[in-house]
Amino acid sequence: MAACTVYTTTKSLNTKCSISSPSKSHWGYFAQKQRLVIFRTRRRSSLCVITCGAVAGDHDQTVVIGLAADSGCGKSTFMRRLTSVFGGAAEPPKGGNPDSNTLISDTTTVICLDDYHSLDRNGRKEKGVTALDPRANNFDLMCEQVRALKDRIAVEKPIYNHVTGLLDPPELIKPPKILVIEGLHPMFDPRVRELLDFSIYLDISNEVKFAWKIQRDMAERGHSLESIKASIEARKPDFEAFIDPQKQYADAVIEVLPTQLIPDDNEGKILRVRLIQKEGVKHFSPAYLFDEGSTISWIPCGRKLTCSYPGSKFFYGPETYYGHEVSVVEMDGQFDKLDELIYVESHLSNLSTKFYGEVTQQMLQHADFPGSNNGTGLFQTIIGLKIRDLYEQIIASRARTPVGAAQA
Amino acid sequence: MATITGLSLSGLGFLARASESQKAQAVKFPAHPGQRLGSGRMMAARPVRAAPDRISEKVEESIKKAEETCSDNPASGECVAAWDEVEELSAAASHARDRKKESDPLENYCKDNPETNECRTYDN
Repeated sequence: MAACTVYTTTKSLNTKCSISSPSKSHWGYFAQKQRLVIFRTRRRSSLCVITCGAVAGDHDQTVVIGLAADSGCGKSTFMRRLTSVFGGAAEPPKGGNPDSNTLISDTTTVICLDDYHSLDRNGRKEKGVTALDPRANNFDLMCEQVRALKDRIAVEKPIYNHVTGLLDPPELIKPPKILVIEGLHPMFDPRVRELLDFSIYLDISNEVKFAWKIQRDMAERGHSLESIKASIEARKPDFEAFIDPQKQYADAVIEVLPTQLIPDDNEGKILRVRLIQKEGVKHFSPAYLFDEGSTISWIPCGRKLTCSYPGSKFFYGPETYYGHEVSVVEMDGQFDKLDELIYVESHLSNLSTKFYGEVTQQMLQHADFPGSNNGTGLFQTIIGLKIRDLYEQIIASRARTPVGAAQA
Repeated sequence: MATITGLSLSGLGFLARASESQKAQAVKFPAHPGQRLGSGRMMAARPVRAAPDRISEKVEESIKKAEETCSDNPASGECVAAWDEVEELSAAASHARDRKKESDPLENYCKDNPETNECRTYDN
């Protein structure tokens, strides 16, 4: 027997719902349910028979997550880890524009904010502005569409084609359970900022950014060390003026710095990664090491655990970040073996894992992703689990205030 | 200029798709009545993602252009915009390289057509 649920709808979704004719033949079956619902509900809203197992909820809003980072800073890797935590692989929409930036999985939809550029590549060249400049982005449209998706209304979102540099015809985006908006400016506009349930900023220091871009671009013909350096230097003023200030609004910041374990290391292979977690954020309880609120410095390698050079070093403590109280978990170094990873995981607390070793399992599942052996992968996975926990808490708090749902 | 080229290319793509689907209907219908008509062919005729070579050329061109623009006036908006374009194209090239590394043509075909002979899996 199919499990059909009869939902009531709020005014905003009135236009979308209609009682379709096929259901007339099942009217007798549903009539019973309808009576039940009428007694339960107190709201005077129109009844709507939604097909079985389709939409996630009735008056629920989509959970919106924002991720900000400069180009070439690991947003794509983070997205893949995040969608993997929720289950399933995120893929571009089938049958649509092959150069679409959107990723869709069962539970999540990832939207790239580059799609809201108001000026295409030629337009920006004429005006002499970079993509980092707010003048090149249509924040009104961004706000309108994110708000619509949050209210479970499908939108026609423009596509910015990174290959041609033009704005392609729009694609239809249906409201998902979890919407992730990633790009350069998710937290720039205050209206969009207040729609976000959780926000993350990836803060990569200049030396590490340089090293990563060299790794990424040296394989390309035409690039040289000078051209990579010139490109970073040219974008720096706009980056510092428009993108960097967003980190004060983020609920979690992943800061990547050069290591302190090896003096004068400029290869950028060993990284010092700090997970800065804002205190007092709804549904988010920061991860900690050993004792919440105290300051700890920990080197796990010793008698019980043997590591090769340079090993790893951990730090945890409360700090102030742009005027906010935060808790910082820091990892300097890298993991060599599975043992180290599971050992470290067993000593961290409040990770929002569902079973012992979940962080390790997620890291191993994606051992080919960059950062899988250091703090970037570890903290991205932990944030992914925290977002899952946040989502489940939001759903649970909504379930505690039901609006007349009858189950078959 | 670029917009016009874009339009004509997509127009060609549409025509190609239309002719392919017609062919598919003629071939597939008698052989597999239960299948979705022309689904396999439609997928094959879908416009292919930009080949990394095309993007690599674009990266090279944009670097040369940026160096030229900046030699005239290093502090101008045009120079900064030119280097931003280089960064954008380099990112696109790197994503294309990653996608190419991951995509296996057989796996892609089998995802959409698991019932064909090449893609059948036997569990016992």
